[in-house]
Amino acid sequence: MHVPDGLLSTEVCIAAGVISLGAFGYSLRRLKDSLAERTVPMTGMMAALIFAGQMINFPIALLGIPSVSGHLMGGVLAAVVLGPWAGCIAVTLVLIVQCLLFADGGLLALGVNVLNMAVVGSLGGYAVFAFVRQRLGNGARGTLAGGIIAAWLSVIAASALFSLQFGLSHAGGELFDVRRLFALMVSIHSAIGVGEAFITGSVIGFVLAQRPDLLYSADADGAGGVVPRAGRAVAFGVMCALAVAAFVAPFASSFPDGLVEISERMQFSKLEQSRVLLFADYDQVLPGWQKLSVSLSGIIGALAVLMIVFLLDRSLRLRQRAAAADVPHE
Amino acid sequence: MCRMSSYLDRYGRNRSLCHRLPPRLKLLLTFGMVLAGVSIPVRYWPAHGVLMSLVFIGHSIAHVPLPYLARRLAIFLPMVCMLSLSVPISQGFAAGWEIMAAILFRTTLSFVAMLWLVNVMPFDQLLVTLRRLWVPEIIVAMLSFMYRYIFVLWDEMDKMRVARRARSFGQVNLWRRWKSAAQLIGMLLIRAMERAERVHGAMCARGWDGHMRTIDDE
Repeated sequence: MHVPDGLLSTEVCIAAGVISLGAFGYSLRRLKDSLAERTVPMTGMMAALIFAGQMINFPIALLGIPSVSGHLMGGVLAAVVLGPWAGCIAVTLVLIVQCLLFADGGLLALGVNVLNMAVVGSLGGYAVFAFVRQRLGNGARGTLAGGIIAAWLSVIAASALFSLQFGLSHAGGELFDVRRLFALMVSIHSAIGVGEAFITGSVIGFVLAQRPDLLYSADADGAGGVVPRAGRAVAFGVMCALAVAAFVAPFASSFPDGLVEISERMQFSKLEQSRVLLFADYDQVLPGWQKLSVSLSGIIGALAVLMIVFLLDRSLRLRQRAAAADVPHE
Repeated sequence: MCRMSSYLDRYGRNRSLCHRLPPRLKLLLTFGMVLAGVSIPVRYWPAHGVLMSLVFIGHSIAHVPLPYLARRLAIFLPMVCMLSLSVPISQGFAAGWEIMAAILFRTTLSFVAMLWLVNVMPFDQLLVTLRRLWVPEIIVAMLSFMYRYIFVLWDEMDKMRVARRARSFGQVNLWRRWKSAAQLIGMLLIRAMERAERVHGAMCARGWDGHMRTIDDE
């Protein structure tokens, strides 16, 4: 899943690097404000944990291919346990070590990887998580549902962002259409995201049943609400929009294309052809089966995620009840 | 049991010309190689060939064994092939072949160059270098903690895996395997966090004030 060097153009890598450097520096400052000396061992441990957790393979033998397996990405998990700022830093550390110790992910592309997985995964993911948890009343159920939904959306957002970066990198040359790649990437990743959602949800459920105090809570931090309410809503909106785009975009051709109109009004059409490609008609680009597959995979993914929320929530309550019954024995 | 130390930092302790280079030069060389590989257009493919042979000469001077390189490439190449093939596939095989070739060339070159860096630079040396390159102290401290904890957690995970295998006699169905793998991570998380708290307490008792001190401090 890590972007190697040479896949994206240098300009895109540099731009992404600047953005991630900014986000990373800001996270570091927020972290130093809160509890400086305690964070070092905790963040180091969390980074090592994600690193080790990524080595546990989840077999995908569903397709009859026994050797294929996936693993955890961990951005949302780190944010739920450590809070968004430390979570972002922990995932970044994992990416740095994977780059410099394993050659996993490129040196130039480090900024891209950090942006797609640490910044979007932890900061964006935490915003979604906090939004959902608040909506469901800040309880265990809200924590679980928020983590699962945020994990799913974070994978989709990462893949969407990647296809955007890829499109920007190769827009200049040969005629090449970003939206087809977008369709392919997003439909694959809404399935992969279900795996991430399942793992994140199970781990959060496990921790909630055993040691709920380990999970990060914004009130204990002393800094008050970590992400301002408006920011949470905006992040949730953006990530949902991406997911909705995955469902609806392929069918957008039946509407008189609003984007084309806007782009003409804003004089985008005067830019070179390759840029305008982003706003051209959907009709000619996506063949029917692709439209259908993208929307179907989006919808199936969303259903699967809701299912996971439901199942894990039930098993969590069973376990909590069992734990409550166990207390006299201890 | 497979030991983590046979996997991380494998050839970093070799003695060769490449290993003796100043650490910052190694970083600079790799960075320059990657940058060159990425920015030279594909139609100058002889230049790529020259760069590639330079990288392989670097590997052979550093005594990195060929089977190791082949193994890493065998994992890396299929992934990149699939990724780059998705460009023509998504265009209905009508376009995108040039992009695919560019991707294959460039990613392979930079990957092999990165492998060189990884194998001539042990992690402790990297940490010292990063500190001298104005990376914030707290980041270097976290990285060094992380490096230490990776081995600890790996051993812990190994124990849990062996215990699981002993209880479940190997093969179980897919749902069970996913569930138990997720629980493994959950258990590992709880143990890891408890350990980090203990370590932090012990560090505070020994006068930890948020600053790392190493022997090479000038």
